[in-house]
Amino acid sequence: MPGRIRSFTEALLSVENVSLTFGGINALTDISFDIKKGEIRAIIGPNGAGKSSMLNCINGFYHPQRGSITYKGVQRARMRPHEAAEQGIARTFQNIALFRGMSTLDNIMTGRNLRMRTGLFWQALRIGRAEREEIDHRIVVERIIDFLEIQHVRKVPVGQLPYGLQKRVELGRALAAEPDLLLLDEPMAGMNLEEKQDMCRFVLDVNDEFGTTICLIEHDMGVVMDISDRVVVLDYGKKIGDGMPDEIKANQAVIDAYLGVGH
Amino acid sequence: MLYREAGQFKASYRADQAIFPIAQDRFVAMALLVIAFLVVPFVATEYTYRAVLIPTVILSLAAIGLNVLMGYCGQVSLGSGAFMGVGAYAAYNLAVRLPFLNPFVCVLLGGFVAAAIGIVFGIPSLRIKGFYLACATLAAQFFGDWAFLRIKWITNDTPSGSVNAPPLQLFGLDLSSPTANYLVSLVFAVVLGLGAKNIVRGHIGRQWMAIRDMDIAAEIIGVLPMYAKLSAFAVSSFLIGVAGALWAFVYLGSWEPAAFDIDRSFELMFMVIIGGLGSILGSALGAIFIVLMPIFLNQALPPLGDVVGWKISTATVSHFESMIFGALIVFFLVVEPHGLARLWLTGKEKLRLWPFPH
Amino acid sequence: MGFFLEVLIGGLLAGVLYSLVALGFVLIFKASGVFNFAQGAMVLAAALALVRALDVMEQWHWPFTLALAGAFAFAAVVMAIVAWAAERLVLRKLVNQEGIILFMATIGVTFFIEGLAQSVFGADVYPLNIGLPKDPLFILESVFDGGILVNELDIWAAVIAGLLVTGLALFFQRTRIGRALRAVADDHAAAQSVGIPLDQIWFIVWLVAGLVALVAGAVWGSKLGVQFSLSLLALKALPVLILGGFTSVPGAIIGGLIIGAGEKLAEVFLGPSMGGGIEIWFAYVVALLFLLVRPQGLFGERIIERV
Repeated sequence: MPGRIRSFTEALLSVENVSLTFGGINALTDISFDIKKGEIRAIIGPNGAGKSSMLNCINGFYHPQRGSITYKGVQRARMRPHEAAEQGIARTFQNIALFRGMSTLDNIMTGRNLRMRTGLFWQALRIGRAEREEIDHRIVVERIIDFLEIQHVRKVPVGQLPYGLQKRVELGRALAAEPDLLLLDEPMAGMNLEEKQDMCRFVLDVNDEFGTTICLIEHDMGVVMDISDRVVVLDYGKKIGDGMPDEIKANQAVIDAYLGVGH
Repeated sequence: MLYREAGQFKASYRADQAIFPIAQDRFVAMALLVIAFLVVPFVATEYTYRAVLIPTVILSLAAIGLNVLMGYCGQVSLGSGAFMGVGAYAAYNLAVRLPFLNPFVCVLLGGFVAAAIGIVFGIPSLRIKGFYLACATLAAQFFGDWAFLRIKWITNDTPSGSVNAPPLQLFGLDLSSPTANYLVSLVFAVVLGLGAKNIVRGHIGRQWMAIRDMDIAAEIIGVLPMYAKLSAFAVSSFLIGVAGALWAFVYLGSWEPAAFDIDRSFELMFMVIIGGLGSILGSALGAIFIVLMPIFLNQALPPLGDVVGWKISTATVSHFESMIFGALIVFFLVVEPHGLARLWLTGKEKLRLWPFPH
Repeated sequence: MGFFLEVLIGGLLAGVLYSLVALGFVLIFKASGVFNFAQGAMVLAAALALVRALDVMEQWHWPFTLALAGAFAFAAVVMAIVAWAAERLVLRKLVNQEGIILFMATIGVTFFIEGLAQSVFGADVYPLNIGLPKDPLFILESVFDGGILVNELDIWAAVIAGLLVTGLALFFQRTRIGRALRAVADDHAAAQSVGIPLDQIWFIVWLVAGLVALVAGAVWGSKLGVQFSLSLLALKALPVLILGGFTSVPGAIIGGLIIGAGEKLAEVFLGPSMGGGIEIWFAYVVALLFLLVRPQGLFGERIIERV
């Protein structure tokens, strides 16, 4: 849907002057941008630009040496991934980080992990509270399975699923956590046109229905222009563009570094 | 034809999530329980109890414990023998120093002591994995060997090095006969095994499997690696400790530290690998296999040897045992890493289609 | 002071023997990423083959040097067969599995080799004489009263180990095969894609490890007699490797020395206050502490995990 313009006011996450180095390599240099609540923000740029590293910083896997990240109004200190999860951040990975030994259903159920509270003893007995909790969360997970149209593979071990379905299951696991901020790392990579359209539809529906803020890394310019509200462009760890899709398309620096002419 | 699920529709998630969702499976499981509890006691001889039934039942429980740690949570342990010992000696100490406690209460409490120690020795798993963790668990095993032998108060200063179990009774009922031994062990194994099955199919079990499959990514669903790994060590050590206490009290009666040495650790590990990592049923199948195989070889090999004119001594039989176990480990890891349990499931799949080929 | 030195030197020399076994582990791990639990069983198998062949040749009244050479050749052939079988039947089938599966497979191989070697060659204790002098020596008699007692065999063992390490280090650094082995250790698939024949490489590595096991078995067997407990050396080598680093040849030596000396010193000086017998776990607890502080050992490569 080219030309859809929405405006958002409140910043959910803001990144201020973040720099990240590994050994001698500067993965990110002085990056600042924000993600507004309810929007779909895209991060684009050539390979090695530091996009995944940026998500890893937001998510708590990497700890920037300089700069700060403010989430929900609170400037955070070093954070571990499970704390990020507790604060409502969920993500998918470029190389699919599903739990291969478990079925689709179980993988998505793991997304409900933080909301399942019964202790060891009650789980061993599996009566009353424990049973009810399993069923309640199963109901939620089944709704997600319906939404993503993967009912037919719910009991299949995910290691056996084709790539496109695995990506959907991973999205399902992220959605199961009912996140406030959803980080998607190349969700459409390796998909054909039909699969991409399905994925786009899911992303837009999630944003529409649940108001989930979405930040995605994506290489397909058509997708980026169509579904994102604003775009950040990274190159060699530095920010070279930040604005609405149309502005980015016309930005000379971005064209030189990444887009080329003809977009 | 016999094994069709046709017509078995689940009307609730509860039914879908049951341990045995297919009616035929439920029937078989019930039948096995009935046979185990009601039929076997009338049919088994003392030899069968001592050689086959009691060891299988108790070691199944230990194997379930090790499977929880290795198969479900992916943490290697070569120290399970020592944890059986911890359960045994803890139960012994409680029985000797607090004689008013019923021996079976001591068995359970021994399990809790083993769980506590398991948590301590599980702490390295927060920093290391794979065969590095295997080495750390070996440290636990050898330290246990030494402690059971040299720390005098553990064995209540016994001069001979071996200790005796208290007489087994419950509310005044004497439970020292083989049949009673068997039934008591069976109750422990079934109840605790069922608890283990429930835990592994609940959310803690999923946390463990997440750690096993991709522990870095497990954090993103909010899994606290410390809690998940240490709870696995705790539950696993509890089950193994109870099994160890049962092994000492019910099966051995009187024992020395050598009963819980590294050979026992390997034996449990073989049960888990051959039976199937990540399967409660597999643990039991593995135990049955490992207990029966030496008996089978002892009966079958000498006559076979006589046929070709080769006198096979018991020493040779035990060497053959090593070879066969070794070869089976490699075989299962290559062909079917999910062990006998997967073979069982595949067999059931074929049975669903029977008599049609596909 | 003299007594301390005696214990220390005795420990260091015992440590050299541990290093010999650990070297075999390092070789296989360096070249295929597999932790070969069966190394100890290989030491046992090699030693059994050696000692029995020697017995047989002495029965045939061969002159000693010829018998020795023949026995070594026989044992080397046996180890070659083991290497071939291990590569063909086990490694090839488990190429892309994770380390822990391969490790458990080598445990299976251990039991198989132990069972086979003992049923074929016998399970008694066999004294072994390969021409190494076993007399006790008193050294430094001028410095310490009465001198320090060392065993001549241990000194020979140290010399042999030194030669072996130098040879292996040169092999890895200078030869084409050595380079190929290092490539394989880094990345199986990449090594294959530049035309390195994985199965040949693995055969060579296991063969070399088998020969190292043979040397270790010959030396240990001379010292202790050839018996089943030799295979338990595999377990002792683990702490050595953790200290030295799994991928480092000099690390195996230094780790061995530290563990050997540490064990003996702990047993003699710490042991009595703890009831004795702490040798069986001391090395492991030291290794465990190391694992918590510096998992890659003194000389190993840092293990980095990426998402």
